[in-house]
Amino acid sequence: MNQGYQLKETVYSALFAALIAAGAFIAIPIGPVPIVLQNLFVLLAGLVLGPRWGLASVGLYLLMGALGFPVFAGGTGGLGRLFGPTGGYLLGYLPAVFVTGLISDRLGKTRVVDTGAMVAGSLIVYGAGVPWLKFATNMAWNKAVFAGMVPFIPGDLLKIAAGVFAAEIIRKVMK
Amino acid sequence: MTLFTYVPSTSLAHGLDVRCKLCCLSLMSIATLQGGPVPLSLITAMVAGLLIATAIRPLTLFRELKLFFLLVAMVFISRSVTTGGEPIINLWGISATKQGIVAGALLSWKFVLVMLMGIVFTKTTKPSHVKGAVQWFLRPIPFVPETRVAVMISLFLRFMPLILTQASEVSQAQQARCFHLEKNPVKRLLRPTVPLLKKTFQSADQLALAMEARSYSDKRTDPVFIRSGQEPLILALCFLVLGLSFIV
Repeated sequence: MNQGYQLKETVYSALFAALIAAGAFIAIPIGPVPIVLQNLFVLLAGLVLGPRWGLASVGLYLLMGALGFPVFAGGTGGLGRLFGPTGGYLLGYLPAVFVTGLISDRLGKTRVVDTGAMVAGSLIVYGAGVPWLKFATNMAWNKAVFAGMVPFIPGDLLKIAAGVFAAEIIRKVMK
Repeated sequence: MTLFTYVPSTSLAHGLDVRCKLCCLSLMSIATLQGGPVPLSLITAMVAGLLIATAIRPLTLFRELKLFFLLVAMVFISRSVTTGGEPIINLWGISATKQGIVAGALLSWKFVLVMLMGIVFTKTTKPSHVKGAVQWFLRPIPFVPETRVAVMISLFLRFMPLILTQASEVSQAQQARCFHLEKNPVKRLLRPTVPLLKKTFQSADQLALAMEARSYSDKRTDPVFIRSGQEPLILALCFLVLGLSFIV
């Protein structure tokens, strides 16, 4: 790998980390609940940057949050938030972006693969977030699923649909 | 977002070495999460003192943190309703228990404290100093390219405001073209996202080119740290509070 290539990847993954952080503040009103773009950007980082640099950008985002910069949803930050009741979703972004990137890297960059990779990524985020929420707040399982997963599913389906097109366009811009 | 920008001053917290401040911040967050009422009151007194020294107006603070306080209130209510124990208030068949209210109040207190500590830190520390300190802390850790991480941090801090400005530009441009009448939800999601991504990627591309043109590499002059001399005292105090939070 030559220096120029690495530099570009460095800049891109810093950009994606900033997009993920900004995604917590950019809300698009659809229906009763505004949709926050944060996890769309996490999945896109995996699709566009691949597993390694995707992981770097999510890691950078979490590092900035852990250092106390207000990059988490609702404008908060700090170690307390990272290990608080909703910390599972944030830490779940790490395996999610890696798996999303790995699937799209290994199986080719088609729309079907992209969709599958994003579905897998979303499932990992919930797989980490919901049990964490349950144990952090001592909620019952069904309550935790209803509070931490069910309300977000329609939005996630929309984001996956939008993400497939967005990934295609960004890949063209990046070339 | 004005709450989290650096404000130059000569207060105690401003003068401290950044590395010491970062250490104190993480020690205090652990103490806050771990401790009971006694260490919490101690930390609250310390944070309040620092906040007064940095001259932040309480009303401004409250206004900027409106959403955060709403979240804290929700945490408090859910805690007091879901924890078992002797019921005190009964409303529409939902009862809040004494144990729940105590637990909820303690948790909300911790949340607010961690938030305030973050504000004190970001108000008194230049972003470039944070970058330098992170680089210094990452140096002994193997397999982590510390200079590259530091570069990514400064790029991140540069991109954040850029993205937010461009997002508001895109949304205004689309409102002017009657985008808000669009019914298809996928299109509603794509129309603002795609131009935003395109714009930011183009600026990232230009930045990478500019860096390359200037022969940018990982070999850079290391950041310089300035100490105020009070670091050992402050660190000792933080360790004391941390120890106290495990005992009391």
